Amino acid sequence: MLPQATLRKILYGSKGFRIRVPIASCTLAAGAEEVYRRVRRAVEELKLDAEVYTVGCTGLCFMDPWIEIAKEGQPPALYGNVKPDQVPQILKRYLEGDLSGATAVRFKTDSRDPPSLDELDYWRLQTRYVSRNCGLINPESIEDYVETGGYSGLKRALSMSREKVIEEVKASGLRGRGGAGFPTWFKWKVAYEQKSDVKYVICNGDEGDPGAFMNRLLAESDPHRVLEGLIIAGYAIGATKGFIFVRAEKPLMADRLEKAVNDARRAGFLGKNILDSGFDFDVEVYRSAGAFVCGEETALIAAIEGRSRPRQRPPYPATSGLWGKPTVINNVETLAHVATIFQSGVAEFTKYGTEKSKGTKMFCVTGAVKRTGVYEVPVGTKIKTLVFDIAGGPPEGRKVKAVQIGGPSGGCIPAELMDLEMDYESLQSYGAIMGSGGLVVIDDGNCMVDVAKFFTGFTLAESCGKCLPCRVGMKQLSNILEKITSGTGTIDDIELAQELGESIAKSSLCALGGTAPNPILSTLRYFKHEYVEHVVNRRCPAKVCAKLVKYVIDPALCRGCIQCAKTCPTGAISGSPGEVHRVREELCAKCGQCLIACPFGAIRKV
Amino acid sequence: MDPRGFVESVVSRIGTDRSKLINILQEVQRTFRYLPRESLEEVSRRLGVSLAEVLNVATFYHQFRLEPVGKYVAYVCFGTACYLRGSSEVYEAMRRAVGLNDGKTTTEDGSLTIEKARCFGCCSLAPVVMVVSSDGSERYVHGKLTPIESRRLILSYKSRAASTAGFGSIAAAGYSEKDTVR
Amino acid sequence: MVDTVRVYVNGVQVEVPRNAFVIDAVEKAGFRVPVLCYLEGLFEEATCRICVVLVNGRVVPSCRFPVSEEAKIVTEGDELTRYRRTNLELLLSTHRVKCWSCIRKSNCSLLEVSKQLGIEGLPVCSECPLIGDECLITKGEPCLGPLTVAGCSAECPRYGAPCVGCRGYLSDPRIWEDATVELYRKYRVDVKEIEATMKFFWSNLPERLREVVTKGGKP
Repeated sequence: MLPQATLRKILYGSKGFRIRVPIASCTLAAGAEEVYRRVRRAVEELKLDAEVYTVGCTGLCFMDPWIEIAKEGQPPALYGNVKPDQVPQILKRYLEGDLSGATAVRFKTDSRDPPSLDELDYWRLQTRYVSRNCGLINPESIEDYVETGGYSGLKRALSMSREKVIEEVKASGLRGRGGAGFPTWFKWKVAYEQKSDVKYVICNGDEGDPGAFMNRLLAESDPHRVLEGLIIAGYAIGATKGFIFVRAEKPLMADRLEKAVNDARRAGFLGKNILDSGFDFDVEVYRSAGAFVCGEETALIAAIEGRSRPRQRPPYPATSGLWGKPTVINNVETLAHVATIFQSGVAEFTKYGTEKSKGTKMFCVTGAVKRTGVYEVPVGTKIKTLVFDIAGGPPEGRKVKAVQIGGPSGGCIPAELMDLEMDYESLQSYGAIMGSGGLVVIDDGNCMVDVAKFFTGFTLAESCGKCLPCRVGMKQLSNILEKITSGTGTIDDIELAQELGESIAKSSLCALGGTAPNPILSTLRYFKHEYVEHVVNRRCPAKVCAKLVKYVIDPALCRGCIQCAKTCPTGAISGSPGEVHRVREELCAKCGQCLIACPFGAIRKV
Repeated sequence: MDPRGFVESVVSRIGTDRSKLINILQEVQRTFRYLPRESLEEVSRRLGVSLAEVLNVATFYHQFRLEPVGKYVAYVCFGTACYLRGSSEVYEAMRRAVGLNDGKTTTEDGSLTIEKARCFGCCSLAPVVMVVSSDGSERYVHGKLTPIESRRLILSYKSRAASTAGFGSIAAAGYSEKDTVR
Repeated sequence: MVDTVRVYVNGVQVEVPRNAFVIDAVEKAGFRVPVLCYLEGLFEEATCRICVVLVNGRVVPSCRFPVSEEAKIVTEGDELTRYRRTNLELLLSTHRVKCWSCIRKSNCSLLEVSKQLGIEGLPVCSECPLIGDECLITKGEPCLGPLTVAGCSAECPRYGAPCVGCRGYLSDPRIWEDATVELYRKYRVDVKEIEATMKFFWSNLPERLREVVTKGGKP
């Protein structure tokens, strides 16, 4: 979406030879730092006049760590899953014009080149709107961001009246990307209309859903875009101060945002009289001590005030928020959208999406798929497209059973409904939520009751304990699931879980409790037969629930190699060398280590 | 260092405003690796906030801990992707390997702490274990673990904690992530 | 002039100040909702969720929800009763109902609301006027009050006859243990006699309950 000339300039750099290495939390975990060192060493050793350039992450996590080599005259080539030792070899071959080892090229110059990104489903089917710069520019360089059109949105917004800015966001139809999909303009308008000398805007970067990290990726890869959106929001409502709320557990995200804030201040995009508009505004990066409930607006405000726990709404933060002042809280991705809308215009944004929900959304696809990653697609894209075409579907021999959307507050959509177009309303009507956009693919090797138990355990641990339904109700729900998965449940327990879940959802204080029973309610809706199987036949169909499975050794396959007996931590396997071994059920801890140890596949779960 | 004296120096630097409570506790934890009881009492006195309220905040947020941790802290990721790929087996195997039972998280000799953690955001490596030295100077991420590998892994950290030998063998098995890249 | 809004509570029109909460409007219209945690001016955090009502079809806590112009408030209904009961049962699930030794007995809003909502799970002791030295168990009588479902106004103990458990036993094992340890054992009530009394109405006497009582506390 960048103009060709700008794109080329960024790809090749001023030296005409740029090697990109992604440095973000996810790529670092995959070993990018060692790769980075090797690239630097190789450049020195080969005496290349190349620029080793750190970028954020593209979101193609399955190929971490990757590098991209771009030398003028040759197409920029991406190499996925690079091992540090391969770096010199890759470089040499690229310089010889041999691109055969590359995963993809940015664009083809020759028909024999590896496929270009635009030919690959996982890139072609994406609409990289807010994530356009991710993996392309150096997140720590404000110049690079300005080069790609950065802060032009802010300039445009500051030349308009506040009402006009809000009008423009309204025209775009942008809805909050943090979960519920509340119209962004409406929050802004309410806060704008409040009469108060002091107003605040907060960027919510808490992102606690397990299996969702698109906000972290976006803020680590393109922090200025988020900041620009925040400044625009601050201008629109007439705020004096902004906060970026980040977890202390995500140090790189916080550091990069902090650097962005400092650079922007130096460049005159923050501080007194921004760009001669008379608008004063400053931003502070707030490092939260971490609690899932802080994703909820009032709990987030409480954290900044040095307290804990949410409170009953209304009053909504837009009228009475931080220290009792009007406060607008927007998600990281929402603000990045705001900046992009002001940079490239409303029409560019409304091209995508559905009638009711415009634009694009980043989804984080994990679990049983071949290509784990963060992908940006228009709102209203079919689940099928995302899971099968982009993420490559399940690994060989596995079958998708369900897709869990929206994390612990979301629900499971069964495989039969893969044609569903994902927008706020459709997901809600099927028992899930868009949430922050975490999408976990569950295959036939997973037990749905166990999945529900996992999420219930999560929200139970994260419940702040303030209101009764969430504090005690989730504990009881988790007890019921424990009973069912350990084979002592009854049919009544299933009904009780349903009733209790509905009651918790309706009567809890905040959104955490209001959505906490969703995983149970949605699995009960689509996978009731699995629950019934657990309580009636005392059997776990997926053979996951430890108390309902038994380990047996097939005498026909066992050669008596004693491998299993050696690994068994509880000494439950008996038998002498050369003889068929036996599992003593009363001692078996069902840890499954023997299953991995057996070289003949003689141990089975039944 | 004396926790009370430290709190005093922090408070004189960043102030006694109620909203600084979390920042002060973060500073204390950065220095002591946990929140000593005396420090909480001192914070309560300095800020004029009841000790119950200070404890409320200290126990509410995940970052804070009220007890000292082992030399190495192994965080087993319990994010959705890791859980579905067997992180609970990895967790159990590691606990068994170092003899932790009854909800204890730190070993008797104070060498290791094994804890469950929320998503690290490297789901493509599931299941993931992150090992951090308690002074924060070393950080290692190990991905795609099986229970057997994790057993071997945690035992190597245990012996590493006991000795002062180099980290070569472990670093080769996993990935190192010292925060030096800029 | 005070700024007021007009709302309808169960169809009854009332005018209340603009900054009032729903519960004020409900009271002004002459209705009542059960409340537990709410104490005006002292505790207004809306944590117990017992006082829920419907405002324009939405479930909200009446003690903390502001009124709005033309709001339609409904205070009773199957749905609301279900939520109130579920929440109260959840609260009781964390509460050891040792009404026989509780000083709040005559002044307990938990008991009051439980009775109002018809919660089963409280012992006959909760309604029994005999306390302290008057309690039949302290005199060694095999009264089943602490184990029996309340709702009879404790008619028998009231007139000096030990409870025989005609309303059935409570299903919570914790109360079986408490009653055995704090009453039957402490006051040396004859185990044989209690067992015999239990068998009279409780033909389906659970083995576990029998064990708890005969073995004195934990089975």
